[in-house]
Amino acid sequence: MDKLKPAPAIPDQQPEPPAGPAALPFTDTKPVGAADFYFAINATFRFIEKEFGPEGLRRYWQDLGSRYYAQVTAAWKRGGLPAVADYWRAFFAAEPGAEVRVEASPGQVSLDVRVCPAFKHLRAHGRAIIPSFCQHCCFVSEAMAAPAGFTVRVQGGNGACRQAFLPRASAPPPQDLAQIKETA
Amino acid sequence: MIGVYDFCGHYDWTFEWLRAQGGEALLRRYWDEAIHRDSQRHASRLIAERGFAGMAEYWGHTLEHEGAGYDTTTAEGVFRIDMHQCPSKGFLIRNKLGAYHDYCDHCMGWIGPMLKQAGFAVDHEHNHRGQCWWEIRRSNDATAPAEPGTLSGAQDVRQRPDWKPPGVVLDVYRHSNQPDDKAPGAT
Repeated sequence: MDKLKPAPAIPDQQPEPPAGPAALPFTDTKPVGAADFYFAINATFRFIEKEFGPEGLRRYWQDLGSRYYAQVTAAWKRGGLPAVADYWRAFFAAEPGAEVRVEASPGQVSLDVRVCPAFKHLRAHGRAIIPSFCQHCCFVSEAMAAPAGFTVRVQGGNGACRQAFLPRASAPPPQDLAQIKETA
Repeated sequence: MIGVYDFCGHYDWTFEWLRAQGGEALLRRYWDEAIHRDSQRHASRLIAERGFAGMAEYWGHTLEHEGAGYDTTTAEGVFRIDMHQCPSKGFLIRNKLGAYHDYCDHCMGWIGPMLKQAGFAVDHEHNHRGQCWWEIRRSNDATAPAEPGTLSGAQDVRQRPDWKPPGVVLDVYRHSNQPDDKAPGAT
C-alpha cells in the first residue's frame, strides 16, 4: 500500500449516450469478445496485487469502475433500473460462454450467473485464478452504480454467483465480503 | 464484471493507470511479467518449442480469433506479419479511446521479450493507425528487413496508399526486442 499513489490523472470517458450494440458503450466489429483475453484480465489482477497488495487491487477496480465505465454510469443514471438490466443483458450476450439470467423487477435487477465466462475459460485452459477474482465484480460494479444511485450485492462466486443491483435509497445491509467465495 | 468484448478499451486504460502509479518502467514490467510470462505463456511455450512453425500457429489462431485483417508470410529464416486492420488499435480508434499515449507499444512490450527468450529478434514498424508489419528472424541473423513488396508481395502493408500519409510518424524498430528501442520519425 505504501507504493499506491492518489487517484491518477487518467482522462475520464466522456459521458455520452451509449453507441454500442444495445446498451454497451463501445462498439466492436465482432459480436462476441475473444475468450483468451480472460487470461490477460486474470494476469493483470495478479500483477497489481503483487505490486500494490489487496488494497491496491481494490483501488484499481474502483478507479476502473468510476472512470473507465463512466459512460455506463451515466446511462444508468438516465435510465434507472431498466438501463441496468439492458446493460447486463447486452454485456453477457457479448461474453463468450456466459450463461446468465438477468431479471428486472420494480425494486432491483438480479443477475443469476450460472456459468461465469471467465472462470469457464480460465479453468478450461488450466490457468490459476487469483483467489480474490470474484471480488472484482463487487468493487467495479459498486463504483459504477453508486454515482447513478444504485448499489450492488454479490453472493457466491468461484464460477457461479448471484448479483443484485438495488437503489441506494433502499438501504440494504452492507456487502459482506465473506459472502463472495474465494477461488477454489 | 470486466469483460472481454471491450477488452482493448480497459487494457489501454490500465496502461495509463499503471504509468500513473509507477511510471513507464512499471508498465514495461507489466507487459513482460503479466502479459508475456503469465497471460500469453502459451504463446511463449509454443514459439520456444517450435520456432517459426509456432509463430504461424500462434498468430494464425490469435489474429483469426480477434477478427484481424492480416497476412502472414513464411520464408527461409523469416516469419512476416502484415497487419492491415489491427483489431485492437481499431477498437480504440472507432470508439475514440486512448488513455495511454502510445497503445501500439504494448505489442513490442510483450512480444519483444518473448521472442528474445526464444532466440529471435524483430524488425517492426507501426503507423498508429491500425497498420504495422513485423519480420522475425533468429537473433544471430543480421539480415536487413525486406524492401517493400519483396517478401510478402502485394500483401505488404507498406504498399498501401494510406500507410504513411502526411503527418503520420512511424515508430521503427530494427533487430530489436524491447519497446523503447525505437526510432520515431524514421521512414
